[in-house]
Amino acid sequence: MRNFRRTSQIIFLLLFLWLLIQTEYHGKDIISYPVKVFLDFDPLILFSSLLAAHGIPPAFPMAMFWGLVLVGMTLLLGRFFCGWVCPLGTLHHFIGWLKNRKLPIKAKMERGRYRPSQRWKYLILIGLLVASVFTLQVVGLLDPLSLFIRSLALSINPAVNYLTRAGFNFLYFTDISMITAVSEPVYSFLKTFYLSFKQPFFQQSIFLGLIFLFIVGLNFYRHRYWCRYLCPLGALLGVLSRYTPLRLKVSKECTNCMVCVAGCEGGAEPHSTDSWRSAECVVCWNCVKSCPKGAVSFVIPTRRKKDAPYIDVGRRRLITSAVAGLAAVPLLRVGREYKGFNPELIRPPGALAEGEFLRRCVRCGECMKVCLTNAIHPALLEAGLEGLWTPMLVMKMGYCEYYCTLCGQVCPTGAIRKLPLEEKQKLHIGTAFIDKSRCIPYTLATNCIVCEEHCPTPKKAIWFEEVEVVNREGERVVVKQPRVDPQLCIGCGVCEYKCPVIDKPAIYVTSIGESRSPDNQLII
Amino acid sequence: MGNLSDRRQFLKLLMGLGAGITFAGRPPVYNQTAATPDLAIAEGGSPAQTTRAALDAMGGMGRYISRGDIVLLKPNLSWDRVPEQAANTNPEVMRTLVELCYQAGAKKVKVFDNSINDARRCYVRSGIMEAVREAGADVYYVDERKFRTTNIGGEVLKQWSVYTEALEVDKLVNVPLAKHHNLCRLTIGMKNWIGLLGGNRGKLHQRIHQCIADLAGFFKPNLVVLDSVRILLRNGPQGGSLNDVKVLNMVVVGTDQVAIDSFAASLFGLQGSDVGYIKLAHERGLGSMELSNLQIKRIRL
Repeated sequence: MRNFRRTSQIIFLLLFLWLLIQTEYHGKDIISYPVKVFLDFDPLILFSSLLAAHGIPPAFPMAMFWGLVLVGMTLLLGRFFCGWVCPLGTLHHFIGWLKNRKLPIKAKMERGRYRPSQRWKYLILIGLLVASVFTLQVVGLLDPLSLFIRSLALSINPAVNYLTRAGFNFLYFTDISMITAVSEPVYSFLKTFYLSFKQPFFQQSIFLGLIFLFIVGLNFYRHRYWCRYLCPLGALLGVLSRYTPLRLKVSKECTNCMVCVAGCEGGAEPHSTDSWRSAECVVCWNCVKSCPKGAVSFVIPTRRKKDAPYIDVGRRRLITSAVAGLAAVPLLRVGREYKGFNPELIRPPGALAEGEFLRRCVRCGECMKVCLTNAIHPALLEAGLEGLWTPMLVMKMGYCEYYCTLCGQVCPTGAIRKLPLEEKQKLHIGTAFIDKSRCIPYTLATNCIVCEEHCPTPKKAIWFEEVEVVNREGERVVVKQPRVDPQLCIGCGVCEYKCPVIDKPAIYVTSIGESRSPDNQLII
Repeated sequence: MGNLSDRRQFLKLLMGLGAGITFAGRPPVYNQTAATPDLAIAEGGSPAQTTRAALDAMGGMGRYISRGDIVLLKPNLSWDRVPEQAANTNPEVMRTLVELCYQAGAKKVKVFDNSINDARRCYVRSGIMEAVREAGADVYYVDERKFRTTNIGGEVLKQWSVYTEALEVDKLVNVPLAKHHNLCRLTIGMKNWIGLLGGNRGKLHQRIHQCIADLAGFFKPNLVVLDSVRILLRNGPQGGSLNDVKVLNMVVVGTDQVAIDSFAASLFGLQGSDVGYIKLAHERGLGSMELSNLQIKRIRL
């Protein structure tokens, strides 16, 4: 059984990574396999979304209800997801094992024991869900799947890309044919099957990466630290496992050697039938396998002798956590972001109106991973702390490709709607403005037109006023000064991205005119 | 300026005479013989038929491509647009040219362009990747490592980042199409060389005509095939609306890139001299924009 579990972990981790790599344009307008399928099965995201919307929100992706399958299976089997499926759990498992394998058995046993602080995760869960009830949905910050996708997509994968490219570039520029004859085919293979089309860059990538490495590093301190102490999804599945019919049984052959505890992944106290904590157990089967007497087994008892230990959160802590979840709502919402509009906050095409968007987005970063032009980045405070790591377009980094609808296709929660192309092409995500103090025809009395050339709408949103101006030599010259028609401008930002005034583009997009907001409008 | 132009004309004449004496017996480039016209214009058939007919009229591909050659077919593959929108070179023209190159004994035919929109989308949606791959060409995206600062030796463009692979091929075939352009008036063949450049290309626009003429002095095509299956009349260079597209079902072949561009201008009711860089290239002696002096062969299918 343990080998089945290991195989399952490896398969799901590889599937997860493969899907993450597939979350990129591969020559087809429709993305066939985004990593979103993992999120579809995430009941934490399902429940918090439903709570935040006070029901099923309009156009809610039905795929989210796959989460109920996991709920049902957890009711029957316990936290098997954490031990058998969760790719982040598998990573923690592996890193923890790296530390464990060198330890003497006593130390291993110590690392395997339950600790009362494992209740933190339930407190975190309660705080998050209470906040959700009061419309503050920030579960994505700590949801393990969101966290893993975001960290890999925005930090680890770009770093691995960078390293790979740098390595192969070094070999390439040695210009020694014996080396390049080998390295170039390998590089080209990697380019086809793994590397991003272009080196991705993300704002905040270093912070996301450090947070991730810190979380992974915690395994050296306590085994599966994240899973045991912090993971809100683990906590939710733990609560659901409370009455699972599959129970651990330790028979009379037990000599109290405690070897089973040494291998326990969840800190679930498997050394006796009564001490076993179903909410902490990730059904990894290590205890069963490691018992020298074969005394430990999973059984489906016909009759429950005695209730297993409670999830001892404590009433006061529970109330504190709920109050904290509630208090976070007004505290977060009196920032300046909530009055007026942030010009920099340009959401992807199809993003819901801001309030609803924030209640839906789980900050998984898939839209950022899939974006063709690397335009979508995680926000820091642009949308308030509530909007931390939600997607926004940074046109200096990329632009919204006119014929692309990928971000809406990979969004698990419908925070970015899946748009038909015709609708997407008409949708405004912002409006372009010209900085006349930097624009070449205005300042240098010479033509440029780069913005107009790239403007993708069939009737271009950028037009010219032909103006006779005097240059420094006193000559009269006619130049084409660009102007933006806000009726036609969809805010795609290609003008800003391609503007030859590269450090601070002379044409730039701000959020005004975005179709999703009835208020952030320019034209009557 | 007129004097200078005359002097250029005179020098050109001297050069022509010199070349005529030196290479007597070889097919001259700017002189006309009964066998090979300066321009061949075929129209009326499918893109493939028209392309073949125009090349036949120019003496066949074998005249320009030798056995064992590595050939670059440089399309205009700039935009995320479909063939009907006339923003990129027609994929069937490209396919036919790949086939003809191989028939002429080419060792390898390469196809690439430094696209403006996302290259993956441009390659797919233009239809070019699929078409030329089926015909056996090597089609790939540009590799950022292969751009190198290169001496252009132009009047404005002294140095620029150029895709080295384009300079290493045996034969260079330019396969542009003709489109409206708000700065240049038209973008045709000589402007198509910008697709072999890297760097901040938008900067070129400040002195676009000089830059294009500089590029035309630098890149010397062995053959130019102008795809006029469709031309883009308005909202160029990427268009989008089919109302801006005119279907001509025409392919024009020649070796004089100035003449080709000048002829393309006539499709828009303009003369070569109306387009800054064509005039400039003509004045620099890079070719002739005077269509009346050229021997043009027209084929109707």
